[in-house]
Amino acid sequence: MEADVLIVGAGPAGISAALTAEKFGAKVILIDESFSPGGQLRQQTQYFSNLPTGYAPDIGLKVIETLIKHLYASSVQVYTNHTMIGAYKNGMIGVTDGNKTFPILARANILAPGAQEEAKIFPGWTLPGVMTAGAAQILINRESVLPGKRAVMIGTNNFAFTVAKQLHDCGVTIEAFIEEKSQITCSDGILRDELKHVPVWTESTVQIAQGTGQVERVSVHTPEGRKEIDVDLICISNGFTPILEPFVIMDCELTYKKHLGGWVPLYNEKLQTTNPSCFIAGNAAGITDLGPILLTGEIAAISALEEIGILNSEEAEIERRKRWLELEKLENTAVCQARKNLIASSRSRQSPLTKSK
Amino acid sequence: MVMNKMTKVFDCIIIGSGVVGSSIAYHLSERKKYEILLIDKSYPLSGTSGSTQAWVWVHSKTPNWYGELSMYSAELYAYLEKKIGDFEYKRTGGIAPFYNEGDRDKALKLAEEQGKVGIKIDVLTRDEVLEKEPAVSPKIAGATFSKWDGNLNPFRLVELYIRAAKKNGVQCSFYNRVTSIKKVRGIFHVETEQGVFQGNNVILAGGPWSKELGKMLGVYIPVRQVRGQILITEPLKPFLKYTIGGVRQTDNGEVLIGYSKEEVGYDRRTTLDVMQQTARMAIDLVPALAKANIVRAFSGIRVIPEDGLPIFGEIPGIKGAYIAVMHSGITLSAIVGTLMTELLIDGETSLDISRYSLKRFSNLPNRKI
Repeated sequence: MEADVLIVGAGPAGISAALTAEKFGAKVILIDESFSPGGQLRQQTQYFSNLPTGYAPDIGLKVIETLIKHLYASSVQVYTNHTMIGAYKNGMIGVTDGNKTFPILARANILAPGAQEEAKIFPGWTLPGVMTAGAAQILINRESVLPGKRAVMIGTNNFAFTVAKQLHDCGVTIEAFIEEKSQITCSDGILRDELKHVPVWTESTVQIAQGTGQVERVSVHTPEGRKEIDVDLICISNGFTPILEPFVIMDCELTYKKHLGGWVPLYNEKLQTTNPSCFIAGNAAGITDLGPILLTGEIAAISALEEIGILNSEEAEIERRKRWLELEKLENTAVCQARKNLIASSRSRQSPLTKSK
Repeated sequence: MVMNKMTKVFDCIIIGSGVVGSSIAYHLSERKKYEILLIDKSYPLSGTSGSTQAWVWVHSKTPNWYGELSMYSAELYAYLEKKIGDFEYKRTGGIAPFYNEGDRDKALKLAEEQGKVGIKIDVLTRDEVLEKEPAVSPKIAGATFSKWDGNLNPFRLVELYIRAAKKNGVQCSFYNRVTSIKKVRGIFHVETEQGVFQGNNVILAGGPWSKELGKMLGVYIPVRQVRGQILITEPLKPFLKYTIGGVRQTDNGEVLIGYSKEEVGYDRRTTLDVMQQTARMAIDLVPALAKANIVRAFSGIRVIPEDGLPIFGEIPGIKGAYIAVMHSGITLSAIVGTLMTELLIDGETSLDISRYSLKRFSNLPNRKI
């Protein structure tokens, strides 16, 4: 299989990159290991308003539905159930459909594997009924399965409140939020207000989850002493971290940026990694919101097309600049600053990012 | 730890905390005579020792005096486990298959030679191999077999060495790269990213980085870096009893597979070409593996002395400077740690180690340092 651009990961960033590259005339292959494109946006029922030009504000799964419709109407070749599992000596990406493993020869690659949730470990964390907030969200919004009736949410970040609200709307009783820090970290006042009836135990940690065959109760260490409640669901919302495997396989250098979610591939303002044939888009380039995720897809596509000569440097620069300006407006200030620092450090790196021939 | 480093003089500074350096640190510390410092540019077993199939392999090591050394190490591991804790050492027995009946003569010769030093080897027929290990392909012609071979968990081994060494007072400085070594009035000044340390003795145990360390002392260390790529299957029901050519099953059911040898410098990438070739070879030997899922691949950089044999002992011409570098660090760490301790503290060793001296390379044409 051959293409101008191979895109790994068909979440919002990957699809956005694919459609942008196709619009500028590139032959694009888009692969995803799931049975369907859309990534994690497929179970987001919350409303997104901070979107780039050209996107109508809507709930997540509607936004992705529209994108997927455009995708299938385009010339992009989409391969679901295809996983990137390695690289050949000559740098080609190897893909498997579970039966056969084969190379895809592309002149540039855009890696958009997304993010994964960070678990939190405590005695009893392997019991059925203990899951990440994202897993609970997949169950209610995608699979129409109620994961429990009485729940606690570990963590108070925005995602914890988002999922707690969705569980609450499905009839799940949220008994408490359990937060290690001294105050709630969720920055969304409306969400906090909607769940103000739920007690928040700050400076608290789970001691143990217990039950026979599944979670039945949880003991929590709080400043007022030990609290024990009966629950059948413990959700963990401990933040997200970029998925790095594809970048490790492609020998991209990594760096640590706390505000971007921890270890993250190093990249320049073109979203080009230290492997000049690999560009990066989406949450893998730093945990952020949907608006910036979609824009990084566009920027990566423009840069990839510049790299292989489909766009000339001048047009590419103009198109990129436009999107970076928009991204700066949409992105959380701390995240945007961390991104700028990362890009600056890629510039001052001892051995500068190599220009490919 | 950092205080005093300008004035304090350690009895011994060990550079490298892989399996060899950690073993030497532990064995030296057991005598409670030396103040010891163990330095690593990264963390223990971040290099070769943490990316290996971790065989304790004896029977096909030739010449037979090298096999003998390996056997003594295997012997020591059983006792070592009682002292420092469980590192999953299992003397499974090892099967080295051959595919042509014509190789049987070679196998018999090996058995005869190794027998002279006490390594008992059986030369098996195809049926005998299949009886021992039914998962092996009937395509083989036979195999050599010895009870001496086995494997261990290198993560536990190095962790336990370091823990025991620290308990005995060894000081450690990890994530600290050595930048130069100078000898001033009989004392080694080891310059690191975190300051200068002084020692009466210095031991280079840098594995694949031995060449660079040797340069700091003006010595050429004749070793090569050879990459091996290893595949790991999902945990499978125990079905492989022995350590077999390229394949072994761990305690938790994963099968480790590795055959490849590539000279690509210190490049720890994996490549699909080699992974697929490795998988084909494994299926050829153990057909049932065709159904297994591979969950992970990793590569390790072996360090191989130019003549294949271990190099350890005092560095000729530099009193107080020692080297310990070998391909089979996992197999040999117990005996090498023991012998190096005897050499440093007692001044003589219970086995003659002159064969392993760096001196044997002195007639090599002059190497650029």
